[in-house]
Amino acid sequence: MSARRRNRARGISVWVIALLVALVATIQLRSEVEVARSLVGVDPTSLAFLIDDLHRANDSLDAEKADLGQRRAALQSGEASAADQVLTEESNRLRALEGQIPVQGPGIVIVIDAGGLTALDLQDALNNLSAGGAEEIDVNNRRVVTGVSLSQTSAGVAIDGVVVAPPWTLSAIGDPTRLAEVADLMTQQLRADRRVRGASYRVEANIVIRSVVSPKPFVYAVAS
Amino acid sequence: MTRRNLASLSLLALVALATGFVLAGQIKTQLLTPSNQVARYQALVRSVQDLEATNADDRRQIAALRSQIDALESEAATKSAATQALRQQVQDLRAHAGLVAMHGPGVDVELRNGVAGPNAGGQTGYLINFEDVQDVVNLLFARGAEAIAVSGRRITPLSSFSGSQGQVVIDQGPPLSSPVTISAIGDRNAMVEALADESALPDVRARQVQFQIQLVFRGSPDISVPAYDSSLQIPHVSPT
Repeated sequence: MSARRRNRARGISVWVIALLVALVATIQLRSEVEVARSLVGVDPTSLAFLIDDLHRANDSLDAEKADLGQRRAALQSGEASAADQVLTEESNRLRALEGQIPVQGPGIVIVIDAGGLTALDLQDALNNLSAGGAEEIDVNNRRVVTGVSLSQTSAGVAIDGVVVAPPWTLSAIGDPTRLAEVADLMTQQLRADRRVRGASYRVEANIVIRSVVSPKPFVYAVAS
Repeated sequence: MTRRNLASLSLLALVALATGFVLAGQIKTQLLTPSNQVARYQALVRSVQDLEATNADDRRQIAALRSQIDALESEAATKSAATQALRQQVQDLRAHAGLVAMHGPGVDVELRNGVAGPNAGGQTGYLINFEDVQDVVNLLFARGAEAIAVSGRRITPLSSFSGSQGQVVIDQGPPLSSPVTISAIGDRNAMVEALADESALPDVRARQVQFQIQLVFRGSPDISVPAYDSSLQIPHVSPT
């Protein structure tokens, strides 16, 4: 009887230990799988930046919704002059963002004196400014919007076919605080580049951009 | 000692040994820390997902509002010749700003991640990044593209590219990742020629060799690009 009881106790202890092993192994495997699943190629710092970007993006979208809502309300009023006013304001805004009219506003001016910088370098600098909130950009009195051709020629970097010789003066209108942060980082990085003789920036309360982009008619694209 | 007892003891020893290994492994991988990390990561991922859902909803609402405004303007234009002329002018400006869906001949370009490779270490060169997309878009504009969309996101005069670790953020949209498709309307022969030029896109070409990232393109007689569905606000700008 006692031998049977001993065997039974031994059997139970084996099961208890086996259960513990299974439990610990399961927890271990699950935790590792979860780590892997939630970290597919994105580290937490990048996720934090992404959250920041999305917050800013959604704020912009809210502002656009509010603006469009106002325009719709004005049109719904049915007043004869309302449509003309909405359309005129829209026309002015679009001309400005397409670079077709001179504009002004607060912003920053960056001066880069360098030899050997390429069209890709200028393209990166302009994209940094745009991503940092630049609403209008001018380089050496050449207006630049996305879509304006930047190319490398034997004579240097050309904007829309016209060579822009260094030093480059980049004027950007937009939120001066955000743009100053971007310009600060940009000029620090540029100064570390051997090709750059000097890179500096200044914040200005009112920058006037007089250069314009000539509108190009569509040749291939047709409205759907 | 009976054979049965011996078997039980052996089993017990085996189980104890396995327990020891698992516990050692557990301690080594610091179960508690990863669990906290998982919770933190999951919270971050949830935040991103919530913000992306809001973003998509906002963009849907913006597209709907623009469509309603278009209908109201169209109605107003029937009442006055001056309003009609003004509306036509604005429609043309909207088309150039990317606010109108377009179609026409052009090229489709696909950028796809390569292979990390055994010695990649911390390198992310095998991932398609925002600079690759920016370079292709600029090359196409330089060769006369009239309208471009990146994975269904229309490029506008204000567009910018950002992102990190294989994520491509364009304007206010959620991040895109490989494969990224760039559709451009314009002179397809000129654009195909530019993309085939071995001296163009030097960084992409180098990583095609090193990491097998893929750049595939083909001309097409009819390509469609959607209208822009995000913000085109320029609050700091005023006319001179």
